Amino acid sequence: MFNIKLSIFSTTRDLEQKIDQMHDKVIESSMFFKEAFDIYMREKRSSNYRRVSKKIKNIEAEADDLRREIESSLYIHNLIPDLRADVLQMVENIDKVINEFDEVAHKFYIEQPDIPQKFRDNFKVLVQQVSDCAENMAISSRAFFRDFATVRDYARKVYFLEHESDKTWAALKQEVFESDMELAHKIQLNSLIGEVADIADKAEDCIDAVLIFTIKRDI
Amino acid sequence: MDLSYLFFLSSGLFLGWSLGANDAANIFGTAVGSKMVRFSLIATIASIFVILGAVFGGAGTSETLGDLGAVDALAGSFMVALSAALAVYLMLRVGITVSTSQAIVGSIIGWNLYAGKETDLKTLAEIISTWTICPIVSGIIAVVLYLCLKKLIKCSSLHLLRQDQLTRIGLIITAAIGAYALGANNIANVVGVFVQSCPFKPLKFNGLITLTPEQVLFLLGSIAISVGILTYSKKAIMTVGNNLMRMSPVIALIVVLSQSLVLLLFSSQTLHNWLEASSLPTLPLVPVSSSQAVIGAILGIGLIKGGRGVNWGIVRRIAVGWCAAPLMAMLICFVSLFFLANVFNQTVYFTD
Repeated sequence: MFNIKLSIFSTTRDLEQKIDQMHDKVIESSMFFKEAFDIYMREKRSSNYRRVSKKIKNIEAEADDLRREIESSLYIHNLIPDLRADVLQMVENIDKVINEFDEVAHKFYIEQPDIPQKFRDNFKVLVQQVSDCAENMAISSRAFFRDFATVRDYARKVYFLEHESDKTWAALKQEVFESDMELAHKIQLNSLIGEVADIADKAEDCIDAVLIFTIKRDI
Repeated sequence: MDLSYLFFLSSGLFLGWSLGANDAANIFGTAVGSKMVRFSLIATIASIFVILGAVFGGAGTSETLGDLGAVDALAGSFMVALSAALAVYLMLRVGITVSTSQAIVGSIIGWNLYAGKETDLKTLAEIISTWTICPIVSGIIAVVLYLCLKKLIKCSSLHLLRQDQLTRIGLIITAAIGAYALGANNIANVVGVFVQSCPFKPLKFNGLITLTPEQVLFLLGSIAISVGILTYSKKAIMTVGNNLMRMSPVIALIVVLSQSLVLLLFSSQTLHNWLEASSLPTLPLVPVSSSQAVIGAILGIGLIKGGRGVNWGIVRRIAVGWCAAPLMAMLICFVSLFFLANVFNQTVYFTD
């Protein structure tokens, strides 16, 4: 009996670690994304930028592996059967946020957009806001497994930051189209700004789902 | 031993089978329904504990049923048990979980009416009062457990996965307690009416345990309950389902635990004696309905959560079932006794 009990908990411990690592990956990718953006602003597509961008790519690949391991672990060991689908959706949503960081970093690398000086401050604010939004999403989502009150606290922060990033995105978009740049340049920047802002949207989607799971699970 | 006794006992065994099929859903329906525990594992555990409960703790409640109506002829006992079983089975077929306790009480009253014997109104009132007290007590216990567990979960900050594993273990333990309590409390429903005409001899197991004739009868009845659990309860769980209120595994655990505690309270001779010795009000030793206890617990939790999420339509349906089951059993019993006595020439009661 004692051995059975131990083996039951060793399975959950392993999965607990994987879920924690998945959340760590969001925070890591967010921090590297901010670093990559700063480097891009200073050096454009330098070897330095390439190094950090590659780190984000690796994080994304590791997150994909973790997602698959979590999914199979939940089914093989028949863990949290009533919440299994919810946890799988949550992990997939987290993975989408990480993917978005990777895609945007890669887009900068491929397209090498020219960002005029006058847009840089706002652009930096937008990057900061979406990164904070994703980090708070990770904290909130992680808390789902331990403390429902914390989920709600950080969810408020995510909603606030997403709203702020929307405002920054709209202002930046207006500035871009009011400038005297060529239309192709305007469209390129607009698409890039939109993709950066999408990170916060994806974080918000993730939190929407987490809040519903919390209501479902709250005893 | 007269073989005809075994034939007549078959209706009691059929009732036992119905009880196993019907009431197992209350003990571990939510655990199986939420896929927290495998049916085969929990049904096996429940089967073992229902036998232990019936054999070693079933004496108290059978006396009360005997007081309500001392069914003295074997053919009469046969029909009383068969009518109750048919009433439970028919209700189960239409997807309503009913109380075996109520069905047997209805049957006994049907026998009393047919035999022209007086129903002991004091005992009847005591039994009927438990039909109200049982869900209320169960609801109160569930609310207390709910508040305590909620606080405990909040303070412990236990990881959801670990919480789930502990709940799983809890569900298995409470199913065992629930099955023990069900056996102890409800065996009187199954074979209580056969106690008066019990022909068995004491049974010895390796000189270690000796079962009294009454316990041998309870053993047979409880084996029938176990067979009901193993063969038909899965179907009953799927039919009756978990549609009264959506329950998380923790709530399911609380519901099962409350129900088990209520069943133990109403069948524990030790507790009864202790309360009596301490000059405290005692709880009657009456077979109470596990279905009522479960519904009381679910409603208790539902109400403390503001009444949201409770499917009141189903509550009404179940309440109708509770009223219909004893009436149906009484009617079936009365009519069948007439046929048994007049068509098959059986003695269904002895005149005083």
